[in-house]
Amino acid sequence: MTDLQARGVVKAYGPTPALRGVTLDVAEGEIVAVTGPSGCGKSTLLHCLAGILRPDAGQVTWRGQRIDTWSEAARSKLRRTEFGVLFQFGQLVAELTAAENVALPLLLAGTGRREARTAALGWLERLDVADVADARPGEMSGGQQQRCALARALVTEPRVLFADEPTGALDTLAGEQVLTHLVRLARQQRTSVVLVTHEPRIAGYADREVMLRDGVVDATGLGLDLPIVGGGR
Amino acid sequence: MSTSHLLLGLLAAGNRHGYELKRAHDSRLPRARPLAFGQVYATLNRLARDGLVAAIGQEREAGPDRTAYALTARGRQELDQWLATVEPPAPYVASTLFAKVVVALLAADVDTARSYLVAQARAHTDRLRELTTVKTAPSVTLDDVVAADYAIAHLDADLRWLRTTLERVADWHREVRS
Amino acid sequence: MTPSTLARLALAGSRTDTARVVLTACSGALATLAGLAALTVLAIPTPTCCDGLNYSQQYSNALLREPGLRGGTAFALLLLTIPVLALAGQCARLGAPARDRRLAALRLAGATPGQVTWLAVAETGLASLLGTLAGLATYLGGRQLLHRPDERGHLALPTDVLPPTGVTATVVLGLPLVAALISALLLRRVSTSPFGLTRVARRQRSPGPWSPLLVTLGLACFTAVRPILRWYTDHQREPPALLAPALVVCGGLAAMLGVVIGTGWLSYAVGSLLHRYARGPAALLAAARLMADPWAGSRTFAALLAALLLGAGAAGLRSWFHANDEVTRSSGGEPEASDNFYLDTMDLVDLAVAVAVVVAAGGLLVALVEGIAARRRAYAALVAAGVPRGTIGRSIAWQVLAPAVPAVALALTVGLLLARGLFRVPADDGVTVTPDVPVEQLAWIAAGALAAVLVTVGVGLLFLRTSTAVEELRAG
Repeated sequence: MTDLQARGVVKAYGPTPALRGVTLDVAEGEIVAVTGPSGCGKSTLLHCLAGILRPDAGQVTWRGQRIDTWSEAARSKLRRTEFGVLFQFGQLVAELTAAENVALPLLLAGTGRREARTAALGWLERLDVADVADARPGEMSGGQQQRCALARALVTEPRVLFADEPTGALDTLAGEQVLTHLVRLARQQRTSVVLVTHEPRIAGYADREVMLRDGVVDATGLGLDLPIVGGGR
Repeated sequence: MSTSHLLLGLLAAGNRHGYELKRAHDSRLPRARPLAFGQVYATLNRLARDGLVAAIGQEREAGPDRTAYALTARGRQELDQWLATVEPPAPYVASTLFAKVVVALLAADVDTARSYLVAQARAHTDRLRELTTVKTAPSVTLDDVVAADYAIAHLDADLRWLRTTLERVADWHREVRS
Repeated sequence: MTPSTLARLALAGSRTDTARVVLTACSGALATLAGLAALTVLAIPTPTCCDGLNYSQQYSNALLREPGLRGGTAFALLLLTIPVLALAGQCARLGAPARDRRLAALRLAGATPGQVTWLAVAETGLASLLGTLAGLATYLGGRQLLHRPDERGHLALPTDVLPPTGVTATVVLGLPLVAALISALLLRRVSTSPFGLTRVARRQRSPGPWSPLLVTLGLACFTAVRPILRWYTDHQREPPALLAPALVVCGGLAAMLGVVIGTGWLSYAVGSLLHRYARGPAALLAAARLMADPWAGSRTFAALLAALLLGAGAAGLRSWFHANDEVTRSSGGEPEASDNFYLDTMDLVDLAVAVAVVVAAGGLLVALVEGIAARRRAYAALVAAGVPRGTIGRSIAWQVLAPAVPAVALALTVGLLLARGLFRVPADDGVTVTPDVPVEQLAWIAAGALAAVLVTVGVGLLFLRTSTAVEELRAG
């Protein structure tokens, strides 16, 4: 079943087009990698799909409902309840401990303090970072921070997880641990994942790879329909 | 790859029969091409001839040849020497992938070379995904992870090369044909 | 580096940098105006003729006419520069993370630490110089405009005298120099690293017992003034000329420092209370920030608290004047006309306090916007994760207001106690009148201060939208 759909999504920053009509389906429980060279519009597509940005044209639907026309408040609520987001770095609140950071989405949803903490500790445990539960982000390694951020994204048991270069700031091993956890937990919960990356190795974690080039989906996946560059015949 | 050094290394962990050696090889090096029995015995005979291993008794009770082998002092020396030798890092750029693109450009045209590159990249991507699935399976052993990592790193490197070459193929074609 | 390169790089910046330059210039201009006003008052010549009646009769205001009062007037004007300078200090931090990054990028591009420091110094120095020159121009223009003798030829302001040119030049050129030196001092960490500043949220210990100690010391100084002076009178000796002012200045500074440190302690205490009992995520965020950096509150409130201390002291003094009047009246005398003069003067002091509160609120706004900007990445990530901006806004409001309320109360209490210590219960012929606690006036001051804080928070939150834009999530 198709959960999340983009239909002809167009988005420009001022005169610069970032997306020029992207169509993409994400099925329930599917892990889709969005790849492509720098500046191809990967992150913008993720932001449009997640309802963080509103496309200039085209539609984004979630379980049959158009979300691109929703108000900011309604999209916020959707992101809080049905979606999870994971960015490259710097998303944890510096003054809160790991456990408090992870508990934050639950607290926002009105869960009690004790219950939220228990749930947060459970997720930190599953991600092998229970030992830093009471540390602040500044006291953790990059890999630990990113695993806490993953715990925070998953704590509400979202239906879709959006990950934008989640290992971009990490070394290979730390990045691998984050991705292994991400894929394993997503499969357990049948959470769909939209994974933006420029690395083939990271895209290998997905079920399917969608390649963007200059703001459109490259249908061949590898640039077969490229105009011949450099004037060759 | 040196099968004899592999067998010497496996024997360093303790005396073994030929059959045990084959099994140890296949489990320590998962995803390597499996070792044939005949190759194991041939190699062991050669090693025994050179005095690197020694046969230490036979049990003929249950089935075929059950000769156990042990590492000799010379064998140990040879192994240490091998381990201390650095492999020459990529002395020649020789790969079927690379050769095929060159030939495609010489013998055919840009589009042929491109279709080959695209198809090859697809196959690489599929294999990469397959190995990643193996690696992230909950029951995976570290042997599997390390073996898969090795292959993944190489596939990743090939894929990068394939994608970059795809961008360069037109220019390259002009150079090859000029 | 050629001067043109220096100018080009010093001026390369975002709108925040422009805002910082403008605000720095404005505070420079304000400080110049206050300083020149004080110097003008001091420059009024004292006539030596006229048999001891050495009043400067050309002025309509006694504060300017009587040489004995001019020192105090100048001092009060100089006091006004304190919140202005605090504002300038906070302005220098506006947009600092962006500037730090830019300077660090220049270092990576091969600039030496010295060159980078020069850039920052040039920016601050030039902005302040513009400000002081504007201040000078305003002063000179204002002099011309306000030089209007009334029908009896009296002047409302000392528009007929000028401070010595050398002194004026020192103010106009000295302030930018000091500002530049301070910015060089603040930037010494950035200059040394091409990687910029990394702010690690360290856990800080809760502040020690310094606050009550300092406040007690301040109160002791104030209380000691009278007995010491009486001791000298009793022993028929002249007290050293600087003794009383020194006691008052030191005591005032100690009390102020105590209150500021006490605010750090209060922030921490309020933070841990909130952390334990608060329910919503907004309060939790606020509590964590208060506990992580209890000093942030005291730093940002410092100027405001100083103004409140003065205000409460003035209120205490006013109630003392009232009590004094009553004593005079009940012991059969008529309150002198000059006492009304004192009460009028108190109105001027209150006006100064109000101005100081407004200026301090400006500084608070700068600090608040700065704090939001520094955390914009985490805020943007929270918004992307579906946290409503309202929740973040509420947490910021909590974080500012929760320590502000007790801090304001503390500052007002200490200020009042200082006034009480200095001016004893007036008594005459066995009649004593205890001065009332000026509840109403204190309440007005507190309400004004809190209103200023609220407005500040409201304005600061306007910046939250741009700070949580999705662009903040992009790498880099």
